[in-house]
Amino acid sequence: MTELRLEDFETDFWKDAGDRRTWDDLVPGEERETHPVTLTKAVVAKFARAMGEDNPLYFDEDYARATPFGGIIAPPSIHILLMFACTGIHDWMRSPGTINAGQSWFYNIPARPGDTITMRGTALDRFIKKERLFVIHDNVFTNQDRAVICSGRGWTIHPA
Amino acid sequence: MSATQEFDKISVGDAVSGRPFAVSRETIREFAEGSLDFNPLHFDEEYMKSTFGKTAFRDVIMHGMQNFALMTRTVTDWLLPKGGYHRRLEARWLNPVYPGDVITPNARVSPKNVTDKGRWLLFDVEIANQDGLVVARGEAMAEFPDVMPGAR
Repeated sequence: MTELRLEDFETDFWKDAGDRRTWDDLVPGEERETHPVTLTKAVVAKFARAMGEDNPLYFDEDYARATPFGGIIAPPSIHILLMFACTGIHDWMRSPGTINAGQSWFYNIPARPGDTITMRGTALDRFIKKERLFVIHDNVFTNQDRAVICSGRGWTIHPA
Repeated sequence: MSATQEFDKISVGDAVSGRPFAVSRETIREFAEGSLDFNPLHFDEEYMKSTFGKTAFRDVIMHGMQNFALMTRTVTDWLLPKGGYHRRLEARWLNPVYPGDVITPNARVSPKNVTDKGRWLLFDVEIANQDGLVVARGEAMAEFPDVMPGAR
């Protein structure tokens, strides 16, 4: 069962910190270990609320059914959750002190409750700039029909 | 009105005003619970007294992606009634945001583009705090399609 349950995830990022790969260990281009998750209406609503969203398109099935989407969809920004939901406790992005410097995302089609989302991700590059350790991560999320939901990359700064 | 007509009505320089967002330890906690990002940067005051390479902070910081989400909300909610689809956002953080800050996103339409198969709007997007300090900056891109992606 791949149904996403937010309460099942570890919230202490110090636990297992020693098992995560550091900047020095990352192999650019190597695929991150990921697992598919199935979105539910409850997860979409909780996520949307946490982002500051209040558009009924994300919460109200009757409202959403009357829109071109024909039902509730997730906000475009759902990749913010999927980056953590589809990766495990040992993924390097959970290392305490990993600072997000910025991201870019392209949105193909909306994700919806009931969709089973698969992540393909790599640390595409790592470099040192102005004495800071950078990683560029590169990601694609697809649904159960192998249709692309969104794709994007980000720049992170890592603890020395 | 069709998406084409809506697109034609929009002018370069049009402003898209976002709503203010009051940041607190509670909104940061809620963001973490909704996104599964529990990095101690956002919770551990003691830890934040350390230095992070070349970067130092005076308190826990808001998740950078809260900026991203608020930019997305601002353009998406403006676009949807017009038949526009939020296609892309690229953003970077310029200054940290702390509990107690009130941040407001704003966007401005930059030149429109028409390609073989699409009508595109670009936006310059900024988020400023209560002192007018710009904390995040980005560029968004929207399409005005004949059929909405994901239409059913």
